[in-house]
Parts: sequence; structure tokens; C-alpha cells
Amino acid sequence: MTVSSGVEADLIVARYGEIWLKGKNRHEFERKLLDNVRAALRPFSGVEVRRDYGQLVVHASRRPAAVAQRLEDVFGIASLSPARGVEPRAEAIASAAAQALDEALANRPDDGPIPFRVEVRRSDKTFPMTSMELEIFVAERVMPPHASRLKVDLTRPELTLGVNVRLDRAYVFAERRPGAGGLPVGTIGRAVCLLSGGIDSPVAAWMAMKRGCSVAFLSFHSYPYIGESSKRKLTNLVRALARYQPRNRLYFAPFTAVQEAIRDTAPEPYRTVLYRRMMQRIATRVARREKAGVLVTGESLGQVASQTMENLTCIGAASGLPVLRPLICFDKTETIERARAIGTYDVSIQPEPDCCTVFQPARPVIRGSLERCEEAEARLDVEALVEDAVAGLEVVDVEAG
Amino acid sequence: MQPIYLDNAATTRLAPEVRAEMEPWLDAEFGNPSSRHPLGVRAAEALDRARERVGRALGARPAGVIFTAGGTEANNLAVLGFARGRRRHGRHVVVGPTEHPSVLEPALALREEGFEVERARLDETGRLDLDDLERRLRPDTVVVAQMLVNNEIGTLYPVAAVARIVRRAAPNAVLHVDAVQGAGKEVISLAELGADSVAVSAHKIHGPKGTGALAVRDGLAPPKPVIFGGGQERGVRSGTENVAGIVGLGVALELADARVDATVASMSAAHAELARAVESLPGARLLTPGDTVPAICAVLLPGPPAEVYLHHLETRGVMTSVGSACHAKDLAVSPALAAIGLGEREARQVLRFSFSRDTTVEEARAAGEALHEVARALEARAG
Repeated sequence: MTVSSGVEADLIVARYGEIWLKGKNRHEFERKLLDNVRAALRPFSGVEVRRDYGQLVVHASRRPAAVAQRLEDVFGIASLSPARGVEPRAEAIASAAAQALDEALANRPDDGPIPFRVEVRRSDKTFPMTSMELEIFVAERVMPPHASRLKVDLTRPELTLGVNVRLDRAYVFAERRPGAGGLPVGTIGRAVCLLSGGIDSPVAAWMAMKRGCSVAFLSFHSYPYIGESSKRKLTNLVRALARYQPRNRLYFAPFTAVQEAIRDTAPEPYRTVLYRRMMQRIATRVARREKAGVLVTGESLGQVASQTMENLTCIGAASGLPVLRPLICFDKTETIERARAIGTYDVSIQPEPDCCTVFQPARPVIRGSLERCEEAEARLDVEALVEDAVAGLEVVDVEAG
Repeated sequence: MQPIYLDNAATTRLAPEVRAEMEPWLDAEFGNPSSRHPLGVRAAEALDRARERVGRALGARPAGVIFTAGGTEANNLAVLGFARGRRRHGRHVVVGPTEHPSVLEPALALREEGFEVERARLDETGRLDLDDLERRLRPDTVVVAQMLVNNEIGTLYPVAAVARIVRRAAPNAVLHVDAVQGAGKEVISLAELGADSVAVSAHKIHGPKGTGALAVRDGLAPPKPVIFGGGQERGVRSGTENVAGIVGLGVALELADARVDATVASMSAAHAELARAVESLPGARLLTPGDTVPAICAVLLPGPPAEVYLHHLETRGVMTSVGSACHAKDLAVSPALAAIGLGEREARQVLRFSFSRDTTVEEARAAGEALHEVARALEARAG
């Protein structure tokens, strides 16, 4: 796109985080981030995104505040600022800075002078002033109308007017918000997350996304012991997570036959562990279809009977792929806090039964042994059950809400 | 497979007669009833006709009919609006033992305004305890709310007897009757019931969703508004009127009233057919405490929770309900079930079949057969 020579008021500058550290992969990472930002902003009209050496500049003419909010959910962005773009000349910079300062002060209560500074970064070292000279120039131009409300404090400012001078453009901003951090979704690889409908697994999926995994979801459905409305809940969970990655595929695997077979042949205390081993096998097959390299679960040490160290070992042993358990050492309260922050909690607490409650054992085994699991499975046609579940997979592509 | 819809206490199918009369008001006749041009005047006239019909069906003068966005709003308006309007007489409210949340919750919210709120009781047979009610009533009681027909198990409450007690023991009280589940199955007449106001909902009687009415008896001042704005419905319920919905309510209520006898006869036949199936099912029991209407057939089932039966029945095309669809996610035991001795576990084993005037004996028979099949399948699977 061509950059206009005038003032652009409705910009958002989004700075990259760690992806600078990734050396040779930088271009790949930048490209993914750009794709993800474009996907996130697709619902907004009148938006243009350009790359500008280490940052993205988004021009949002219609709903700049909403666009900035939306960008806060895109992984790989370290920080962002609503900004003005001007010609890289001292006069133009100072006048944009004055406007930015007026706006910033209009939003603050007048209760004593605010520690303030101007902070200049120059990528264009041919600019005729040094950074410090420009800082002083801008401060002298913008401060007088607000003399009673501002006091200069270079070390601990509460209000910083940022100026970033680049070759053909300068950006002026009064606010710097933290971005979502992490790595752009899709740069690390693909994962399949086993989604139960509870509080934990959506948080686990979110954490995997934050570290650059694109995540496909798999849930198990025991119709007609469990009704269709539990599928709606799972779809809504994925919809809540769709803020964080561009494409959201949800698989439902039919699980009734598996549960009936386990109930009919296995020792009752082992039912839950055996359900979960079958889930791992089916998930491994879904991962193959999705070209995913890992599974993700919401398991946390000791949280429920199936999550003792022994049972996690039994369950994990059935997977053909590494299992990421981002919440493994989280307390429930920490998970809940995170679930609230990312917007999945309210969906998770909708009271819908999940398939693990079907034929739930009265006294589940606490320290299961792999030998006992394998013994019980010798009486099952494991391959055929997995095959049938895979053949019955239902796929839903969930659009962001 | 033609589905057999036996969840009519949740909602009913729109009657073709209702739809036909609504259609012009969704199309060319889109005027705002407050507008002064002919398009608006015609819409206002449509409201007048609907008000006439609703008033006739409920035994109120047209001026006593307040259109609302459904039964819930009509109940809220009655409980909140009458209580607030009668503060000079006192701040005591009594609600029936098994009221719908749209009556109970606004009553409980009145506590924050300094009202004392009590719930009446059921006796151990599931009947309303009239002696207990009388003991609770006082000269400073300003609202008594008693439903006509219970939505969970179909209990028909003796509202006329309640009215006599209220007049005697609480002379300053308004008696409000939630008749949402009663309409079409009973004649709803303010005079016969001895009530001061009744609430009805269109979608329970083959009308559209989102429309209802509160009818107030002649001579009683309307409740204070709970929704404020442009002063529609004589200032009691502001907001541009849902003309098509109100027209639909008028037709639906007129039809429901005209067909009460035929409806009761056909529902009774369907109920008897399904009851036979339940009686021959080992471990199952029909819940019919006291007087019940034939519209609802609540069954206590053996084995797994009723929701498992529900989903197995739906695979055979039979649509039923657990709890009631409005608050099916509320897991506590409702007073109606607790009163007849059901604990938390048993309450989850209650399946509700509810009929409409269109339900046939053949459908009830097929549902009974499906219930037997499901019970056998679940038993076999349980080993």
C-alpha cells in the first residue's frame, strides 16, 4: 500500500515479540503473524495492514478501538499502541504529539501533576536531530498548554509520549498496551486437543496456541446417553477459542460403543482409565489425519482420580504421540482464573454432562497398572472399536464469533 | 419417521389459523399502532380486536387486557406491579408452593424493597394445604399468587377455594393466577376463578412465542409499570406493540377457549393410553398427586436418569422433557416433586410427556411402545 503524506489518525502499531530471536526463521514467522492478523481482522471493514520492519501497522478507519482490542488476542504481538502516523519532520511530529497528549489527558482525572516524559526512538539515523534533541523539542511544544497537569520525570513516568521515527514515516502514541505475547499460531506446528467440555482442556488448548501451535479439537460423544446439546456446548467452547487462532476444526468421535464394550468386559474401577486410553488412540488417528505432531490435554496432577501419576502413565502409554499437558502443575484456582481471562469459563460451567459420566464407576481405580489395563483390553477388539470411531467422526468448522 | 412431539408444556406448534391471521401484520400491514396515518390506524384497530378477543376469553373487559412479551413478563408485571402499587396496605406477599420462576423470582426480588415474602405449602399428598395458606394470610398481605396448573406434573390447583380464603383473610390482597399451563385445558375466567388477574402465554396454546397478556378484572386499577417508555398499553407496558404476535395471541386464545371440551376429551384418551403403558412397565410409576390435568403425564422411571430415556426416546422420534424446558438445567428438587416424596436422585428420574389438542391416541400408544422398548434396551445393556 502507499503511505499518504498527511496525518493518519487511526493507526495501531503492533510490535513483535520473541520472533526477532528466531534468526533465520524470521520471515516465516512474520508472514504467519501477518496472515493471522489479517484473519483476525477479516470481520472489520476498512482495515489495511502493512509490515514495517519489526512491527505491523494497522490502519483502521472505521472502528480503531475495536480493532486494537481484537489485536490484543493475536499471539506473537508483544505490545500495541493506538498511534498517529506523520511525515518524519519535527514540526509534524510535534503537532501530532500535541493531539495525542490532549486525548490522553482528556481521559484522566485532574488530581495533581502526572509524571511525564517524551521517549523517542529513531530507526532512521539520518534524521537531523538526535533522539534527545527531538524529545526536548517535542516536550517544549506540547507541555505548555498542560503545564499544571504534567511534571517531567524521565525515570518513572506514568504517561509516556512515544515517538518512533522511521525512514518515511514517524509514529506518535501515548499508550503502550501489552499484547497477547507468545508466538504466532502455526509457527511451531499442529496439535490435537482432547476437549471434554470442562474448564481445563480449553485453557490447555489456549496455552498450546500461545506457544505457536495451531490446534484442532476432538471431543467424544456418547449418544444417546448424552444429548445433542452437549455438542452445542463444545461448539461454543471452540467458538470462544476461535478468537486466538484463525482456523478452528472440531471433531466429534462417537464413543458409545467403546463405553459399552468397556462396561461389559472390564473391571468396573478401570472404566475411566480405559475410556481415556481409547480416547488417546482415537486422538492419535485424528492427529494423523490433521498432520498434527502432538496431543494436548487439560490433565493436571492429582486433580481427579484418573489424573494420579500412575493413571496418567497408563493413559499416556496408549498414545502414539507425545502428549502436552500445559496444566500439569496448575492448581484448579489458577486454571479457573486463566479460563475467566480467556473467555472460556462461562461456557465451561454450563451444566452439560460429558461422556465420562456414562457408566461412571462408583470407585475408580486410583493407582492403575498398565498390566491390568492391557489385560482388560485383551478382551476388547481395540482396533475395530478405534476404526469404527474414526469412521464415524463428525467434523465441524467453527467460525469465530 | 414422523416425530411424535410430546413436549407441549414447553411449547406448541403454531396453529395454521393463527399463522394465517398473523401474516398480513408481518407483511404489508407493518404500521406502528401509534402512527396517525391509515397504516398505523389499521394496526391499532388490529390491537383493539385482539384485546376484545383476549378479554372475552379471560372474562376481562378489553381495557383490562395488557399485552406483554410473554407469560414471564405478565407474571413479573402482576407480582411487582401490584405489590408496589399497594404498599399503603402493607408489604406482605404470599406465593404458591410450586410457582414458576417468573412468579417466584420477582416475589423474592421484592424482599430488597422491604417486602416479606412467604411460600404456601403442599400437604403430603401433593395437594395445596389450604389451612396453612389461611394461617399465612394477613390484613397487610398485598399480593397472593397461585398458579392454576403446575407445569411439571400437571396438578390442577383449587384457585376458587384459594380466592375465598384470600377475600376472607387478606382483604387487601390482589390474587394473581398464572394460567400459562391452564389455558386451553381449563376455562379461564376471572369471575369463575375469583381472581384479580391472570397471565397467559400465546406459545403454549399454538400461538407465537414472545407474546402474552395480563388480564385484570374490571374495577381493579392496573399494576404499576415495570417497563417505562412511550406509554403504550395505557402506560402500563411501554414499547411498540408486537402487532402480529398480539393478533396471533387473540386467535390462539379464542381457539383454545372454544376447544377446551374437545381438548380435554382427546387429551384424556391419550393420557389413559400412555398411563396403561406406564402401569405395565416394571418399576415405573405415574405421578398424579391430587387433581391433575390430562395434558401432562409425569412418570418416575427405573434405572438411569430420565435424560438417558429422553435421548433414547428421541432416537425413536419421541420428544419428551426432563424437569421443565424453561429450567431443565436447575438440578435442585422442585417443590412439586419434593412434596410427593421424591429425593434428588428420584427427581432426576422423572420424565414428562405433555400433550396438545392435536395429540392422537395412536401417538400416545406409539410413545408407550417406544418407552417399553427403551426400558428393555437399557435393562439389557445394564446387564
